[in-house]
Amino acid sequence: MGDRANGLGTTLSAIGLVIGVFAVAAGVLLLAPRRAQALPSYARQTGQQCAACHNGFPELTPYGRLFKLNGYTFGGGTSDLPPIAVMNFDSFNHTQANQPGGAAQHFGPNNNLAADQTSLFYGGAITDHLGAFAQVTYDGVGRSFAWDNTDIRYARTVNLAGAETVLGVSLNNNPTVQDVWNTTPAWSFPFVSSALAPTPAAATMIEGGFAQQVAGLTTYAYWNRLIYLEVGGYRTLAPGVQRAFGVFSSGNNGIDGVAPYWRAAIQHDWDRNSLEAGVFGMTANVQPQRLAGFGTDHLTDVGFDTQYQYLADRHSVSLQASAIFENQSLSASGNPAVGFASNTHDTLRSLHVKATYFYDQTYGVTLGAFRLEGSPDATLYPDSPSGRPNSTGVISELDYIPFNHGGPAFWPWLNVKLGVQYTFYPQFDGATGSAASNNNTLYAFAWFAF
Amino acid sequence: MIIAIPLLRNALAIATLPLLLTACETEKTADPTQAPATPAQVEGTIHVCSSCHGLEGKSISPTFPRLAGQQEAYIEVQLKAFRDKTRADPHAHTYMWGMAAHLSDPMIAGIAAYYSAQSPVAGAPGDPVEMAAGQKIFVEGLPTRDVPACNACHGEHAEGMETIPRLAGQHREYLAAQLVNFASNARANEVMHANSTPLTPAEIRQISAYLAAQ
Repeated sequence: MGDRANGLGTTLSAIGLVIGVFAVAAGVLLLAPRRAQALPSYARQTGQQCAACHNGFPELTPYGRLFKLNGYTFGGGTSDLPPIAVMNFDSFNHTQANQPGGAAQHFGPNNNLAADQTSLFYGGAITDHLGAFAQVTYDGVGRSFAWDNTDIRYARTVNLAGAETVLGVSLNNNPTVQDVWNTTPAWSFPFVSSALAPTPAAATMIEGGFAQQVAGLTTYAYWNRLIYLEVGGYRTLAPGVQRAFGVFSSGNNGIDGVAPYWRAAIQHDWDRNSLEAGVFGMTANVQPQRLAGFGTDHLTDVGFDTQYQYLADRHSVSLQASAIFENQSLSASGNPAVGFASNTHDTLRSLHVKATYFYDQTYGVTLGAFRLEGSPDATLYPDSPSGRPNSTGVISELDYIPFNHGGPAFWPWLNVKLGVQYTFYPQFDGATGSAASNNNTLYAFAWFAF
Repeated sequence: MIIAIPLLRNALAIATLPLLLTACETEKTADPTQAPATPAQVEGTIHVCSSCHGLEGKSISPTFPRLAGQQEAYIEVQLKAFRDKTRADPHAHTYMWGMAAHLSDPMIAGIAAYYSAQSPVAGAPGDPVEMAAGQKIFVEGLPTRDVPACNACHGEHAEGMETIPRLAGQHREYLAAQLVNFASNARANEVMHANSTPLTPAEIRQISAYLAAQ
């Protein structure tokens, strides 16, 4: 009875949080036009070209990071249109070996064309200090609607210890979606990948494990454009709320209570260079598949990241690296009555590196690699010959962004990214040789934003 | 899937709400370029400027000019040129057209007053040979090619005057880029076009090195 009452309370709290998010969003949407009489920048885009905020998109420049940290509120532009944007991307996908039974429902075993995703965004300032990045997506592979990355934030600038300090609060639905460096999972390379290609089975919790299934509130401070600190917490949305948002699955795990999230980073800029180093992490009591009565697993992710950017008019280089260490105490999953894991304790490590060169913010080449490794667990990784989740991938990508300096005259805000990406797997879910390389994937995509 | 339709409907409703409400907004300021700017509004705008131009106008990246200690009248003229798009070099397109589009004259005056009152950044010495060659052009000009001495307009210490900009302590790469822009007319200025067109790339480097060191 007590557990049920507690569960009900948790559910109501989660619903309350979500209702709160949307109350804020709806409220500001309603209020904003009244402010617009005094602040014409509302409902207008910044008037700047994509290249001001993005080094290739979606990677952020130092200015793009400040734009985000300040709540998407910087003004400008002469458009009278509201801050609504549409994104669509379409692709061709080829895997080295056919996928028996089809790459997905409605798709063939190989060489598939797909309208991967179409998204509607509300992105921009709402009031002087409040702004939003909110996305609703139609998944053209899964053929379903769902809410996508959402980050509503309020930010003010104060003087602290003699230095400019940006203080803010972010209400978001995906741990790290609020982050401004392209090293943390939500905005790290590869920025696009095919839902029709096989991907390694294991991933750490913070690498999208709760994306869109949670609501989180974090508060941050960016002091003297040098030190960034952020703390917050995430709660799982109730199943009914997840259903309403199109993200429910019976396999979804649940966070018991609040999962703390933390982030610290230091950024130093000099000349055309920007260097960042930081830590981030999250710890959660997790109910596997929301099963009640078996206690919880306890997962802790600790990540280290670094980013370097050299940004000049013609040539730009950016390097990112991250290492995430996950400690898994699996007292629920490892319970024989549950049987989701063989062990009651496992570990997982996820390493990523990537380097990008862009010429004139138009032609880009990226080389990236990732390594996933962990302790053996025959139940968690049944397809792995060694029982380990180990995978290694090398990703190369060529990009062409013809409108990064401004779109065509009839619609200057159009941007297009045409790319070809190839992922090579020396190891895949513990397997090597052809068992791994059969998953090698060629992915050609056209990404439209307007 | 059943709930997907209401979700889409709600999303579209939210998406179109600002359109409808914005359409209802009929009250317009008579002349937006004369809209007053309170000190708090000026401070808020300068915070946005500082994202690229640095705290107190001491920018870090040479993509963005240092504004600390710049001539007040020059800043005003340039911001108005960005606003009406008569300054049209590539960075004006990328950054400043949008940023300046809604600045009123009082706001521009406030921004210019703030930056002109900041202490300039001390110059960074470069290659001594280049600086010496640059100083010679700055002081003497290139008489055989009808290039006048820079200091005749920009001042003995390159401090500028009124609508003529301060050049001392500016980013070297920024200065060089402007001379190239003047020569190509990417940045329209009749006098500076005439003065920069005869310059060789080496001379542009020399002048920029000298000025950045002041």
